This record gives sequence, structure tokens and C-alpha cells, in this order.
Amino acid sequence: MITYVLRRLIQAVPLLLGITVVSFAILKAIPGGPMAAYEGNPNITDEDIRRLEHALGLDQPVYIQYLSWLTAFVTGDWGYSYSSHRPVLASIVERLPNTLYLMGTVYVVTLLVAVPIGIFTALRQYSWFDHIVTGTTFAFLSTPTFWLGLLLIIVFGLQLHLLPLGGMATLGTDFDVVDRIRHLILPVATLSLVGIGRYVRFLRASMLETLTQDYLRTARAKGLVERVVVARHALKNASIPLVTVAALDLPELFVGALVTEQIFGWPGMGRLYWDAATRSDYPVIMGFLAVAAALIILANLAADVFYAYLDPRIRYA
Amino acid sequence: MRRFFIAFASVALVVAACSQAPSGAPASGTPASADAPVRGGTLIFAMWQEPTTLAPPYLNQTIAGLVSQVAVEGLTRTDTDGKYQPVLAKAVPDVNNGGVKVSADGKKMDVTYELLSGVTWSDGHAFTSADVKFTWENRMKDPKVVNRAGYDQIESIDTPNDTNVVMHFKSVYAPYPTLFGALLAKHVAEKEADLSKSDYNQRPLGTGPFKFTEFVAGDHITAERNPNYRVKDKPYLDKIIFKSVPASEVAIAQLKAGEVQAMWNILESQTPDLEKESAIKLAITPSPSVERVELNTAQNKDMTDPTSVHPVLGDIAMRKALVWATPKQQLVDKLLFGKAKPGSSGYSQGWAKYTGPPQDGYDPKKANDELDKAGWVKGADGIRSKGGVRASLTITSTTGNKTREQVEQVLSDEYKQIGVELKIQNQPSSVFLSGSWSAGDPRKRGTFDLDMYATSPDIDPHNHIFTRSHSSQIPSAANNGVGNNYTRLRSPDVDKAIEEGGATLDLEKRKVAYNKAVKAINDSYAIIWLYERASIDAFRSNVGGWQGNVWDNITWNAGDWYLKK
Repeated sequence: MITYVLRRLIQAVPLLLGITVVSFAILKAIPGGPMAAYEGNPNITDEDIRRLEHALGLDQPVYIQYLSWLTAFVTGDWGYSYSSHRPVLASIVERLPNTLYLMGTVYVVTLLVAVPIGIFTALRQYSWFDHIVTGTTFAFLSTPTFWLGLLLIIVFGLQLHLLPLGGMATLGTDFDVVDRIRHLILPVATLSLVGIGRYVRFLRASMLETLTQDYLRTARAKGLVERVVVARHALKNASIPLVTVAALDLPELFVGALVTEQIFGWPGMGRLYWDAATRSDYPVIMGFLAVAAALIILANLAADVFYAYLDPRIRYA
Repeated sequence: MRRFFIAFASVALVVAACSQAPSGAPASGTPASADAPVRGGTLIFAMWQEPTTLAPPYLNQTIAGLVSQVAVEGLTRTDTDGKYQPVLAKAVPDVNNGGVKVSADGKKMDVTYELLSGVTWSDGHAFTSADVKFTWENRMKDPKVVNRAGYDQIESIDTPNDTNVVMHFKSVYAPYPTLFGALLAKHVAEKEADLSKSDYNQRPLGTGPFKFTEFVAGDHITAERNPNYRVKDKPYLDKIIFKSVPASEVAIAQLKAGEVQAMWNILESQTPDLEKESAIKLAITPSPSVERVELNTAQNKDMTDPTSVHPVLGDIAMRKALVWATPKQQLVDKLLFGKAKPGSSGYSQGWAKYTGPPQDGYDPKKANDELDKAGWVKGADGIRSKGGVRASLTITSTTGNKTREQVEQVLSDEYKQIGVELKIQNQPSSVFLSGSWSAGDPRKRGTFDLDMYATSPDIDPHNHIFTRSHSSQIPSAANNGVGNNYTRLRSPDVDKAIEEGGATLDLEKRKVAYNKAVKAINDSYAIIWLYERASIDAFRSNVGGWQGNVWDNITWNAGDWYLKK
């Protein structure tokens, strides 16, 4: 197992390199660029633009720009934002807790709600409860977050005045747990409702499949009570696909939710990336993409390792 | 996806906001006695773009200037009439008060500022002439400053004592009072090896009514009362929190809900909805921003020869016809809800404002006659042609701007009436407004027929009119795309007038010269001045003391703002 993990980690290095090359090339191929922001300023001359391009290294050939970014990056120097001039690493570290706070809550809420519902719908297949859950989860699964988020803001914020329209806390007040939770409700609801739909579908399908297996009939024949049959024999096997999905979702805890953070004015990683992308802030974009790519590769590995743990038939050599 | 999302968000929120009953927030009917300024309170100001930095040398966003200036001041400012006013200086130096001395040969000048004494930075450290000199040195040395225009005309600065600054200019630089509008604190900034990477960048020190205490990227910026502010009893507010919101529609929704008390930059099309709210007051101020359509007079297939002539727009009869077929008043009334004025020049405000005859008005019959006379014959499809060249043109502006898209539709309709086909071909602002040859800005490359955008000249219009209208400023492959003369107009009259304006310090003479230049530009029919824009901000009606300024952001007098009881 250890050699397997090591081999996968070593394989990840060229993969990561490839991802950064492709990302960098795509960024450079997009028309416009970081200098676009300076045009509206009547006091900026073409000479100023050329000086700034030189100061930021934008006058170098693209492959040199990439290589200097890469060499700095691997030595821990993630560069500085073109627009705020702040260190990229500091900008990311500053946003990370906010995203973990939001996405962590979403993750926990999603699992806490989805797992029992998923099990129950499978046990009561074709019951009225199952039909309602199936219908609702399909509806949420097909709902884009930007639409759902806005809808929730309009109904609960603008119409009913029950919840704040956005942000992490009420500005100008001291730390207040209730206030924090009030700000958390709508973005968490937006992301969780969609996520719950997904998880319930997965769990229901795999539970249904497991419940028809021979070993469950054996377990029942042994005289085990239904609760133990479901919880110990069925659920452990049925949760294998769910664990894979949940593990693959782990990077979201760190990279955040692009659209939802933007709608709710949440100062997290998603908004950082959004702002950087609209400003062609290459160092921030690259830093973010490299972290996201690394996390996704790690999450894939983690999913495979979990898989082997849950299913002893799977062996990696 | 992103455009769709934003368009959707706008529509959804506007619809929601419209359908919402007016909330029962504090009404405008406050008793007169409570109208006296009150001390204390926190005001939350919504900004739907976020400043990336607040330090003067790196400022390149309107919103950053708006926030920065509640704390950071300079030697002078411009009042709403376009006059220079002293801030940290005792007076604005000029030739009459002896502050400006031009050398005997008329080629150089010395400008002497006498500073206010007893002023301190918000940390209590004394403000002196050394800070002014340091501001200049930083501007010239730091490779990341946004611009050096004007500062590069200074040869050296002497500081004979703490309150006197003598600037030796190597040329006669007429816009000298616009320099040093925001100063650096030497005692803090000089300790940084790279100021752009320091904390100063987010929380610059200032001498103004507020000081920055918090900069939380993506969330908010806090400015608190500066205890060392030189004006007694000011500011009235304890705190201003600039709140970062994702879009102007969100800011409007939060303003209506009372979550914020003020917001910045409202579009004309958003005003009818806000005007219905009694708890909200709009701050509408004329601005120097003018929306224009530029006609490319040079052949636009290949910019290797910028002197070539555009097959359609090279004909002045065609350009005249397009000017006469443009219904400016209708655009202003219908699409801008009367919040703008039909344009006549790019210089609508200040001492250099154009006061000559207005640009020709709407007269489609005259336009048709002119084209008939010039030999442009209507074909079977109603589109004219001449010598095998079809009068088919494209207009390019920024994508995703609803007002501009509507204006383009109207123009396309109107021009069709006079037998000219106008196709719409918009581009994202990161390309169309990039101002960069390498990024492929069609204006730089000359690969457009008509373009449409807005610019704002400074109170001193020289740089603006020179780079946009002088014949030496035509961008081409040969000059690496330098200059902003996108019409490719070469007019000796325009050149001469602009040069005259830059060669003297006498404001009256300069005004006459720039007016002459604008008149000559208008006589060439290469630019259609569509409309003069206003800047529109908004406050809840319980906020008092604010005042619009044509030449400055709404926060220019934030020290006078107060919250009514």
C-alpha cells in the first residue's frame, strides 16, 4: 500500500507540471491582459504602460515568464498580485479560513441530511416518501446555484426581511455568534440543497443494489434484526461509492464556491479567484490553480485509498 | 456563463427590488432642528468594485481614489467649479502671487509651495516639506507607480525649511497644480524596501479626517476618526466602513433595505426605480465624462499605412451625414432617462470647457440630401454605394453594457434611414478598452469603422486633447501603437491650436486655444459627441453634509458627513 501511494505521488508531479503549463498557456491566449485596467486613466501614457509591463516581467517571451514563475513557485515564492501587489500566498492564506468555514459547514450539513434520507428512501422504495424525495432531489440537482442563491436572497432577504443579503457578518458590530449564523444560512442552504440532491441519489442507488445481494439474505437468515442488517451489513458496502464522491468533493473545502461566494459577497477563495480572473492577475490565478490541481490529485488518491480500506477485495500493488 | 449570470442577477434583483413595497425605514421628514450636524455614528458605504490598493502611487481605480481620499490628502484639490484650492498648502502658487516664476528664456519654471504649519499625520508625526519631496522621489524611482506624467517634468526639489517646497521644472508645465494631489508619509514609507509590497499599500497614512484601521480583502475597509485631524470638531462621523458587494444591483438592494447608508456609481437606467424611494436621495453631479462615437477616417484593413483613406468614412460628406442622422436628444431622453446632456465636445466642464457653437443637431433629411449630392446612390436594398463601395459599416463598443447596446440599435435604425448599413460587433472591454497594441485593441490597430466609449479629461485637458487629437499621436505598427488619435485625423489647424494651448500658462489664452481645437475637430466631423454623463451616487435620507463635486469623488468632503438623529 505504501509503495502504491508513493508511486501515485511521484506520478502526480509530471501531471501537476502539465496542468500548470496548460493553464499558463490558456491564460496567455486570452485576449486582453493585466494592462487593460490602466487604459481608462487619462494620465497614463504609453511609456507608463511599457514601464509597468517591464516591472512585472510581461515584456519577456511567454516561456521565460512561465519558467520564472515555475522556479519561483517551487522554491516557495508564489509571487505578487499584479493589482494589489500583495504576496499571492498571503492573499490565499487570508481567504482560506473563510472558505473552510463556509464549505466545511456545507459539507457537514450535506452529509448529515443526505445520509439518513438516502438510506430511508432506499428502504422504502416507491413509497410516497421516496417519490417526494426523488422529485425534490432531482429538482435541486438540476438547479444552478446562481439561480437558487438569488432566489433565496430575494425571498428571505428582500421580501421577508428575515436574513441578511450577503457578507459574513454585520459590519460595524462586535463578534456575535447569532449574527454569524444568520449570515451563514442562505449560502449554506444554496450549496447544501444542490449537494444533498447528489448524495441522496448516489446513496439510494447503491443501497438499492446492496439490499438485493445474497449476503444480506444470509444475514437476515442468521436471525439478525433488520436494523443491524441495514446499518452494519448493507450501509458499509453501499457507502463505497458515496465515500468516493465525498472524497472527490474534499478540494471544494479549500477552493470554495465560485458563483455562490460571488452572489453572497463571501470573502473566500472563490471570490479571490473570480476577482483575479477578471483582472488578468496571472500570479494569483496560477497560485490558485496550482493549489486546486494539487488538492484534486490528492483527493483522487485519498478516494482510492479509502476504497481499499472499505472493500478488502481491492488490493493495490 | 459569467455574462449570463450577471445579466440574470441584474434582472432578478431589479425585478425583486421593484416588486418590493417601500420599507418603513426612517423617512426624509426629519424635523428641521435635527438637521444640524450631529457627531458620532458609523456609516456603511457600499462599493461594487473593490480597491486593490489605497496607496497613492499605485492607485488605478476610481473606487480606490474614492476610498483613499478620506484619509490621504495632497497639496491641492479641484473644487466643483474647476478651480484649484489649497489643502495642505497655504495657497495655490501662480504667476500672480509669485509662487510660479518662469525663467527668462521661457523654457523652465520654479513653483514654490508654502505648507500649512502644525499639521500632523494621523499617527501624530509632523508633516513637513520632506514628505512632499519624498513623494516625488518615490514617483520617479519606484518602477511600479502607475504614472509619472508631470512628475517627470521636475528636475529637482529644494526644501529650504519644513514649510517651504521649491520645485524646479525643466519645462513650463501648465498642469502643475494637479500634481501632488496625494502625499506619502516619508517617516513610514522610507523604511520599506518595496513600498508596493508593504502594509502601506493597504493602509496608507494620511493627514485627512479619517485613518484606515482595517483592510479585509473581499469584505470591507474601515476608516476611523483621525484623532489628530487639524480641523476642530471634524469629522462628524466616528467611522466609515466601505463594504465590498458583488454588483451594483446588490448595492441598490442593500441601500433600500437600509443595510448600507450610501453607495457609489449608479447607472442612469437604475435611477427611475430609486427615485420612487422616499428614504433615498440621489446625488447627481455633472461629470467630465463624455460618451462619443469616433469615425475612423483611415483605411482600416491594414495599419501598415496609417495615412491611407477609409473607403466610406474617408468622405467628409458621409461623416457629416452620420452626425446629422444621430438623434442625441432622443438617446438622452429615452435611454438615459434625462440624466445626461447631448454632447458638443469632449470638454464639457471646467475652465477649458468648450463654449463654441454646439455640434450640428439631428436632421436626417439634410443627411440624405448630403449623401445624394456626394454621389452615394441608394441600391435595391436601400443601402447606398459609390464607385463600387457599399456604405456598410460596423460599430464596436464594450460587450455587456445594456445602455450602449441600446444606443447601437438606435443608431443602426437611424443610419438605415439615410441608406447606411451599421452592423454591431462588440468586444469585451478587456480587449476593446485595453489600449494595448499587443492585446489587439481595435482602436489602436485601426481595425474598426465606428467605436463608442467614454473618457474623462482632467481639469487640465492638455494631455487628453494632445494624445487623442494631435496628428503625431496616431497609433500604428511603426510607432508601436503610441497615441490615442483613433480617428486618424490629421488636421494642421487642430495641431496648431493644441500646441498653442500647451505653450502658455495664461488660462484665458489656453481656453481660447483648446476651444479653437475642438471647433476644428467638430468641423472635420470625425467624432460624434453623444452625451455628457453625470456621476450618480446615492445616500439614505438620514445622511447629511454630502456634496457632489464635478472634479472629485463623492467622498471629497467625507469629514462633513453626518447621520441625522
